[in-house]
Amino acid sequence: MISHETVRRWYTPVEVSTLRRWLLVSSVVNVLLLSVDVLRGGESFLIGVLGVVFIGALVNSLPQEQHPSSRNQALVLGGAVLLCGLIRLLSTPMSVFDLWMHAWMFGPGALTVLWVSGRPVSAWSTRSLSVGAVEYGLARNQSLGPRFQAFGAHLVLLHFVVLTLLPLVWIFDIALSPGNALGGSLGGPYTTEHFSNMLGSEAFWTWMRNSLIVSIGTTLLGLVVAIPAGYAFSRYKFTGRDVSMFAFLLVQMFPGIIILVPYFLVMKSLGLLNSHLGLILAYCVTALPLCVWMLKGFFDTVPRELEEAALLDGCNQFQVFTKVVLPLSIPAVAVTALFSFLAAWNEFLLALTFNTSNDMYTLPVGLASMISSTGQAWGDFAAASLLVSLPVALLFLFFQKFLIEGLSAGSVKG
Amino acid sequence: MVSVKFEGVSKRYEDGFEAVSVLDLEVQDGEFLVLLGPSGCGKSTTLRMLAGLEEVTEGAVSIDGVVVNHLPAGARGLGMVFQSYALYPHMSVRDNMTFGLRMAKGTDRLPDKEIATRVNETASMLELSDHLDKKPKELSGGQRQRVALGRALIRRPKVLLMDEPLSNLDAELRHQMRQEIRRLHDELGTTTIYVTHDQIEAMTLADRVAILNKGVLQQHAPPLEAYRQPANEFVQSFLCRHLDDLVETANTLLRPSEEGA
Repeated sequence: MISHETVRRWYTPVEVSTLRRWLLVSSVVNVLLLSVDVLRGGESFLIGVLGVVFIGALVNSLPQEQHPSSRNQALVLGGAVLLCGLIRLLSTPMSVFDLWMHAWMFGPGALTVLWVSGRPVSAWSTRSLSVGAVEYGLARNQSLGPRFQAFGAHLVLLHFVVLTLLPLVWIFDIALSPGNALGGSLGGPYTTEHFSNMLGSEAFWTWMRNSLIVSIGTTLLGLVVAIPAGYAFSRYKFTGRDVSMFAFLLVQMFPGIIILVPYFLVMKSLGLLNSHLGLILAYCVTALPLCVWMLKGFFDTVPRELEEAALLDGCNQFQVFTKVVLPLSIPAVAVTALFSFLAAWNEFLLALTFNTSNDMYTLPVGLASMISSTGQAWGDFAAASLLVSLPVALLFLFFQKFLIEGLSAGSVKG
Repeated sequence: MVSVKFEGVSKRYEDGFEAVSVLDLEVQDGEFLVLLGPSGCGKSTTLRMLAGLEEVTEGAVSIDGVVVNHLPAGARGLGMVFQSYALYPHMSVRDNMTFGLRMAKGTDRLPDKEIATRVNETASMLELSDHLDKKPKELSGGQRQRVALGRALIRRPKVLLMDEPLSNLDAELRHQMRQEIRRLHDELGTTTIYVTHDQIEAMTLADRVAILNKGVLQQHAPPLEAYRQPANEFVQSFLCRHLDDLVETANTLLRPSEEGA
């Protein structure tokens, strides 16, 4: 039998436990915000520090069971935090950003005052509860607890969402606003002239063609080389195997800029400047190591017994690979293909260096050429960058199924 | 007639470890031989050398009087059941079973009609007729094991090899499959070599057992003979004492209930 005393000892109103967590989070966030505020020259620094101290004190002096003075103390501290937050807010021009920033202080303060003065916490901390009341409270905890938790989690996640979406919203805004200003503020007149500009310009389609040729070429050539290489690394033991696997990684560790000049000289002597093939070769070299490692990792998860079964079924080594291993590896191959496509699609430095004539520009280089010292067509630029991301977004949509399968690799054993 | 013969067969790995040393073993036509021993005793290596998955370092392995040391695995006319089933996950049960038949070339290639009849025959023999179009992952463990068995049997193999085929199944299924395997053997009369570390499986399935330890053959005899006249101390402790312990445990467990009845 669990005694009533035990039940009573286990009971803490959900408000108190929630406050403990949220106040902790808000103190961390407030410290961060305070440092940001100092850097942008905010004025009410001292009050801010005071507020953080109050929050810290509050976390450690939340109401306790049958302890009226602890409740009063928490109320006073909560009020103090609320006051600090409000004072700081009033000293600002009250923009949306200010409102959001100081909400992190006056919000928790207000919530503390509201909850601690509320009936459940008050009753619990001022007098001894009847067993019925404790049981009611526990039931209430069980229903409210998850809701508070979900609310808190979503509030935090919302910050990340806004942080991620803000640049996107901004670039959409620039692309849709008339004129070529960089600023752009939400609302105001909208136009599609930038999009029609870009779609109607011959240069854009030339860049698009170049980018597609180079990216698809890189993907195909990369796969043709990486698939057998990954399989060999995964299955066979040969002299220099470990060394060459490591060498692959070593190449990746060089910053691209170091090999840029030698690269240029090599391409020049091969006569591959201003050509698609030159870029394809260069991109393959950079994308291959990762592709080979990824595929090797996947092939490692294909059980050897499957291949042995195929051998007994009369396959030769090559058929084992094409009829059993490869069909199982389609997700991994898709992921690898997507990776090399993206790498080639987004690459800027090599494309800028190798292909200097206008009609050989790839999209990233073409985009950059729109922002020159002679004129900045930000509106067109924004529209073009959205159009550039479109094929990639479509690819991701199309490959999504494979991507998920590829990432949950190892389920081969079924 | 001798169906499978190992003559002085040894297997040494590159690091010098000798998994099997100078093994001499004969398997008669239609016989059910169980290779029994603790893990690491070389029983699986022996089987894999016969299957062509492992090279033979020394000696000769022959099937039907033909030395097969250097014959590719697919050409030896064997069927093999793996411990992990090793079914092709991307193929249906039907395709899994017929894969070997469809891979055959030239005169060995059966007409599609014949393949279809064989699938249906094999499937009904193994109670898989309702599952032919499913993928392996939709099947239960026992069903997968039966598909693996079907895939090996459909080619009418000269020798059927089984590498601990029951160790992934639960006790109930294991018991059931054990009886089924023995029944199939009695029906089809296929020469069978079965690797296990389970003494009970060996005693119940085998016509003869070959007990191995550290790569060396300890005794090759019918199970009861090995039990009654163990050739050496190892057989005595690995087989006889283990079985006696089992019997004793069973007796202690059952005695009170008998008295009650």
